[in-house]
Amino acid sequence: MRVEFTRSLLSAAMVISALGLPQICFAEGAREIQVAGRTLGFLENPPSGRVVMGIVYDPSKPGSVAEKDEIMGSIGAGMTAGSATIVGKPVDASSLGAAGDVYALYLTHGVNYAAVGAAGKAKKVLTISADMGCVNSGACVMGVAADPKVGITVNHSAAAAIGAAFKAAFKMMIKEI
Amino acid sequence: MKTKIVYRILFVSTAMTLALAATAHAQSVDYGSLQTLFNEPVTTSATGSPQRSTEAPADMQIITADEIRRSGETTISGILQRAAGIDVLNTTAGQSEVNVRGYNQLASPRLLVLVNGRQVYLDHYGLTTWAAIPVQLEEIRQIEVVKGPNSALFGFNAASGVINIITYNPKYDDTNIATLRGGLNGQREGSLVTTFKIGPNVSARLSVGGTSRDEWKPTGALPLASDLYDPASVKSNLDIVAQLAPKTELRVEGSWSNIQQDNNLGVGYGVIKMINASEKATLISETRWGLIQAQAYQNQLTSKYASRLGVTEWNNAITVASLQDLFKIGADHTFRVAAEYRHNTLNVAPIGGANISYDVWSGSGMWNWAINRQLTLTTALRVDDLKLSRSGSFAPNVALADNNHWNRDIVEPSINLTGAWRPTAYDTVKLSFARGIQAPSLIELGGVQTGIPVAPGFTLNLLGNPKLNPSIVTNYELAYDHDFMIAKIGARLFVQDWTDLKSNAQVTALDYLPTATTNGAFSFINVGASHEKGVELTATGKIADGLSWRADTTYTDVKDKLTTGVNAVARSVAFQDTTPKFRGNIGGDWEKGHWEADANLHYVSDYQFYSLLNGALVPVKAYTALSGRIGYKMDDGVILALSGQNLGSNRQKQTTGLEAERSMQFTITKTW
Repeated sequence: MRVEFTRSLLSAAMVISALGLPQICFAEGAREIQVAGRTLGFLENPPSGRVVMGIVYDPSKPGSVAEKDEIMGSIGAGMTAGSATIVGKPVDASSLGAAGDVYALYLTHGVNYAAVGAAGKAKKVLTISADMGCVNSGACVMGVAADPKVGITVNHSAAAAIGAAFKAAFKMMIKEI
Repeated sequence: MKTKIVYRILFVSTAMTLALAATAHAQSVDYGSLQTLFNEPVTTSATGSPQRSTEAPADMQIITADEIRRSGETTISGILQRAAGIDVLNTTAGQSEVNVRGYNQLASPRLLVLVNGRQVYLDHYGLTTWAAIPVQLEEIRQIEVVKGPNSALFGFNAASGVINIITYNPKYDDTNIATLRGGLNGQREGSLVTTFKIGPNVSARLSVGGTSRDEWKPTGALPLASDLYDPASVKSNLDIVAQLAPKTELRVEGSWSNIQQDNNLGVGYGVIKMINASEKATLISETRWGLIQAQAYQNQLTSKYASRLGVTEWNNAITVASLQDLFKIGADHTFRVAAEYRHNTLNVAPIGGANISYDVWSGSGMWNWAINRQLTLTTALRVDDLKLSRSGSFAPNVALADNNHWNRDIVEPSINLTGAWRPTAYDTVKLSFARGIQAPSLIELGGVQTGIPVAPGFTLNLLGNPKLNPSIVTNYELAYDHDFMIAKIGARLFVQDWTDLKSNAQVTALDYLPTATTNGAFSFINVGASHEKGVELTATGKIADGLSWRADTTYTDVKDKLTTGVNAVARSVAFQDTTPKFRGNIGGDWEKGHWEADANLHYVSDYQFYSLLNGALVPVKAYTALSGRIGYKMDDGVILALSGQNLGSNRQKQTTGLEAERSMQFTITKTW
């Protein structure tokens, strides 16, 4: 009887543990870039047509490179977001000048976000990252999270520095700092 | 009549002007894009501010367009029956009474129903005639079910809850769908919903549709077959959105519906014919002071109630104008301030010659404070000031024959207060308090005036009561939700107190005794209090890709505390007997390739209800109703579906009236 009771408890614990596990595991960056792309439609002057997003990575950091690869794979030939089609362009963090004409920069984990953020502000380019340290520090305009639920944080002063403004309804649904 | 023509001319001319309007982008809530972004439905029905459904500071369930389609239900009340804690009395093939968590009754008055924020709840009687709501199911983006009072946002009658039906917005959503449906019991339905452009900056959606079916067959002594008519409806809706300036948008909506259906009127069945027309304009502008919304609408109702007692016609017009500003201060504080005016007027009937009306001035505010990442506090307050009046003549020898009795003010505050704590990304705890108001209907306040000859030279009257007070509800709720990723569970504990409950007239006791110069009369009175406590449990989850399940059960325990001497049964306020202890659902849906299927079992425990023969309480045994749908999606946008309701038996006793019949239908839809 005691064995059965113990087994029942174990079974219940296993079921509860299993429920707590995410059903599908997405590679880091793949879902976040989808969220980042969709936020562009909530700018006061949203882009349309082909929009280039620079995916900034640090080639010396494997995690950063892997995230960049996941993102480029997720974007593929183009990711539709509202009336825009977003295409990705890998950008080495150490040679931002070679990024060319990009609408926004997406910073992978591990890049020196202070430097990239400063460059973004100088070029009046929107900067986005899943690394919340970037937006919390004011280097990035926006931080995005996809798991376990979508979260968006906008740094008010960083947005003001590049002249980015978001629609009122969107602002009421996100975290502003 | 002249007023109606003027309104229609204004509506048409505004629509034509919009076609010439100037450039730009969006200001209204783009539900579809926000839902895609946040991966969950978005609502404004909790506070007036756009919020994610899981973060709204109200106990809310959102039924999405996909869930509506896959349910196979063909009526809004059928869809609502699948939501947790919703009580539905299916009294005829065309009409259902719907309420949240008990206290359901004939002519259910406690649930405020809206379409895009416009009231479709009918103020004359204080009820919702579901078939008269001028929307096709195919143009509904989502149905928002708010459980518990929300008068602080929506005003009077958001007492037990709110149903806000949100349609697709033609500016953002292309919706082109034609539907043909035929089935058992003479069911025939057809509808068309189409979106189109009128110039570069104006979008419109037009819908038309009609339904007819056989009334359920009588099986008992009452109602008599000769008293019954088959339900039918025709309705149309036009929704136009124009961008007037880069940050300013105008939305104009017009609708019309014409329905016929039987209703259980308590004293027997009667047929109702209604024509509803409505015109609404909403101007939204994003300014430096916030998101400002100015809105005005008018609903016109022509209703005819026919029974063995004769035909009574009521014409009700309600005009509403409101102004709202929604803004943020700093990063953590969202505010909404609003003012509203409404004018409501009804002819007195069946003995006419008079009108009853009221004007309501309202001021309201909402403050949402994100204290930190885990804690949010939302406070909403509204004050309504209703000024009642009556003009015109009285029937001979009627009591209260002085219009001054109607010169009266009713001032009531409404409150919604919610604290939400999210200790982890998977857990939410909400504690809320609400005070809501259920206003007396226009008929209860004096819209009815009839004479009942009981002997030669001796007449009694049925009269409205100008001194009737609104019912007040206070609601306390503790809610917990946990997200296991592949399953979600929720639990709610709630306590609800009603004071100044309103009653029906009791034909065996006079509320106004006869005098030398006046007749005796029956009327509507306040009868005391009632207390409810309850628990609601919900769970949803996925078993595998494409296979989902859901379950819910709601327990309620009602104890009436009526004024001494009140006959609860004769006054139709025996809520502790007429509220079932349990109601719940268990269901699942499946999708693979071209195929999709859904099944739902709806359970209601034993309860008692008023007999059609003598008004006494008689038992209604617990029942389980099965509904379901199987659909096949073709590559060219065509969906073939077989669906049904009450599938478990040919006919099922769900109320003390007509028995609900099995219904099956085949539907073809074409989307482009």
